[in-house]
Amino acid sequence: MPLSESESLAVVRAALKAATFKDVAVRVTTSATGNMRFAAGAPTTSGEVERVEVSVTATKDRASATVSGNAHDAASLKALVRSAEELAALAPVDPEWVAPLGPQRYVEPRAVDTKAAKTTSQERTDIVAACLKVARDAKLIASGLIQHRTSHMAFGTSAGLVAHFADTEMSLTTTMRTPDGTGSGWAGTTTHARAGLDATALARRAADKAAMSQGGGPALTPGKYTVVLEAQAVADLLTFLQSALQARAADEGRSYFARPGGNAIGEALFDPRVGLWSDPMDAAHPSTPIAGDGLPIARTVWVEAGKLQSLVRTRYWAQKTGQPPVPAPRSLFMAGGGGTVADLVRGVKDGVLITRLFYNRMLDPRLLLVTGLTRDGTFRIEGGKLTGPVKNMRYNESPATLLARLVALGTPERTLDDGSLFVVPPLVVDGFNLASVSDAV
Amino acid sequence: MLRKGKAPAAVIEAARAAVLMAKRSALLMPAPVVLAATPVVKGAWMSPHQVDPFAVPLSEKVDLLLAAARAALAVPGVKHADASILAVREEKLLLTSEGSRVHQVFFRVAPGFTATAVDRRRGMFASRDHEVPPMLAGFEHVTAADFVGSAPQIADEALRKLHAAPVQPGKKQVILAPSNLWLTIHESIGHSTELDRALGWEANFAGTSFLKTESRGKQKIGQPRVHLVADRTQPGGLATTAWDDEAVAAQRWDLIKDGVFVGWQTTRDLAAAVGDERSRGCLYADSYASVAFPRMPNVSLQPGPEGYTTEDLISATDDGILVTGRGSWSIDQQRYNFQFGGQFFWEIKQGRLTRPLRDVAYQSNTVEFWSSCDMLGGVGTYRLGGSFQDGKGEPGQSNAVSHGCPPARFTVNILNTGGGK
Repeated sequence: MPLSESESLAVVRAALKAATFKDVAVRVTTSATGNMRFAAGAPTTSGEVERVEVSVTATKDRASATVSGNAHDAASLKALVRSAEELAALAPVDPEWVAPLGPQRYVEPRAVDTKAAKTTSQERTDIVAACLKVARDAKLIASGLIQHRTSHMAFGTSAGLVAHFADTEMSLTTTMRTPDGTGSGWAGTTTHARAGLDATALARRAADKAAMSQGGGPALTPGKYTVVLEAQAVADLLTFLQSALQARAADEGRSYFARPGGNAIGEALFDPRVGLWSDPMDAAHPSTPIAGDGLPIARTVWVEAGKLQSLVRTRYWAQKTGQPPVPAPRSLFMAGGGGTVADLVRGVKDGVLITRLFYNRMLDPRLLLVTGLTRDGTFRIEGGKLTGPVKNMRYNESPATLLARLVALGTPERTLDDGSLFVVPPLVVDGFNLASVSDAV
Repeated sequence: MLRKGKAPAAVIEAARAAVLMAKRSALLMPAPVVLAATPVVKGAWMSPHQVDPFAVPLSEKVDLLLAAARAALAVPGVKHADASILAVREEKLLLTSEGSRVHQVFFRVAPGFTATAVDRRRGMFASRDHEVPPMLAGFEHVTAADFVGSAPQIADEALRKLHAAPVQPGKKQVILAPSNLWLTIHESIGHSTELDRALGWEANFAGTSFLKTESRGKQKIGQPRVHLVADRTQPGGLATTAWDDEAVAAQRWDLIKDGVFVGWQTTRDLAAAVGDERSRGCLYADSYASVAFPRMPNVSLQPGPEGYTTEDLISATDDGILVTGRGSWSIDQQRYNFQFGGQFFWEIKQGRLTRPLRDVAYQSNTVEFWSSCDMLGGVGTYRLGGSFQDGKGEPGQSNAVSHGCPPARFTVNILNTGGGK
């Protein structure tokens, strides 16, 4: 690591000391990452990157500016602080400015795994070799990515706040394709601990799906289907719901959760089995307890028994509305039922199994209507069994209304992160709108 | 300050780590990487611009944005406005072990302005963006967008969207304005003609392509009038450069000619896979810490020879929709099935714009779409669109790229995305 924890904190203190403005916040982010990419059955690129970023926000008379740099010697820090102060002097008054936070108390998740932090290029190569071997044995063509990150963040304000958080993260994804291009399977996961990554098992999952999908299948008639959404597909949709959990947009009438004169907190919006929460202290899946402005992130329940309980509220919006601030979630856990994907499939007479969703985009924020496509493992379910592959389909669906049409919930699992940690169950959902056919494999 | 002839230890360490990784990767490679030959070059280039965006005082930028926001918020019913200016100065010094040395400086700007109208009583809201594209240019491009002058119209159009009629779904003709069509070009043609995708190098993330290595010169993509060109020399194009990130000179070449796929986007390590001796110069890394890999050049649809105006296209349409601006967009991993939205939709009846529509998306398949292209605007209607954020690769990288086009007419499936709310 380019900077140790104590060195990061020293940089924060040095920058605060160099400031002449009364209100200053400093963030130092340090990371070491490694990756190895493979495709067409061979490595394509590899990389190791060490980064330090120092970010200074200076405010005077409610006028602020933020300047970031990647040098942290004394002279560079002074120059960075001067630059932020000079820009702040030019900036207009921000009517929504809120003073930097003073000392806070945070929970302390154990988010660093020593083995993950010490991952070497040789280990990355071994992981890729394990995936390639599974592909060779199954006569498939593998592509994928192994990447890992160790990072720590130090944050301080001129009001006396000092905070620090360190974590590790590893992720592995692989796509296996049949040589004739008619079948494709995918598997992927994220973990903070090296022990959570079993490359061979993960590669076999992808290989099995590719083999099952070989030869392609018929096109479904566009329409509404009962679907088994694997956990990754559920996370792909719930990310839109998570982004919409914003009190201000709701209060201002710009959101799915908007209601005349207020928002939907307290309303029963979803199936009563739906529970959604964030928790930095989850032992298996820890995450940062420090929000961007230094607010402590505590366990937060967003939905309980199908009722909306809370929305993200910035400190400004909290002051304006006389409500407590609620920091944005960095994790999302969803309550499950029990059982594997195979168990869920057994309960479906006529439906479709969806492995994951791709190129997902918001169509209409009023309805939380999202579009995208199934990918890398879409199968017909008949009589509780997978009876063969079907062509991929475009869907047009709302993760909000979908949570009101649940049939069954499986056991939650960690999915591939895309900026936020998701631990969600596979779901059986009725009336899933598969709108048009895609020829893509 | 570096002393001549003395590299810092960190540089040596980074180089050694890269060599070590390459050697380890080589053990798993079935065949060595082969780089197409390219001349050794030495040179420097700066992208054309009139006003360095970083020389414009912050207060001037802030005053402009706030004035635009105020002008929009002065329109009754408009409750929210966003205004922004993103400016990038990228300086790149490339030295290769073959002896090339090129120094380049790029200026890119992305002005952005959105007005949102809210109707609390009906629980409705609608946003309207300014359609100014990002460009390889200086601050003069921001000034020319005239945010303050155009804000009342943007705000008014947000209101008109709010009260627009819901679209009737079905098969229809659409006239796609350049401010919308650029993104459809990007997704359907830009990405499918990337050779690394066809070879499976992006299979785990962005996907592959419906085009195969043997498709060149054979695969029909659209009507004979469909002519798409890759061009890294195009003035104002975000992917315009003098040399790529392996010192290959910028080029212009055909991708789709007479409706047939004729050209790949390549880099030095890709060229041999399709029997080419030279790279098309598409290598790019989005930062010092990213591995350079194939990225899209500016890809543009050429105007039609008839010299049609947008009005000519509208006049020739009995029942259709004029789509302008960028909305939602989604396409599958082999670039067949896509579904796109837009910013503003005008109903066309008997050759006239009749009323604004809402909740419109158009869905098609790449080859069907380009095969349905039956009218193109002329040279005078050609405009550039583009984005700073074309995502590709793992770990993910962003490429800035532009696409020029005239308005054009197609037949597509129209969807109503509003669900009746």
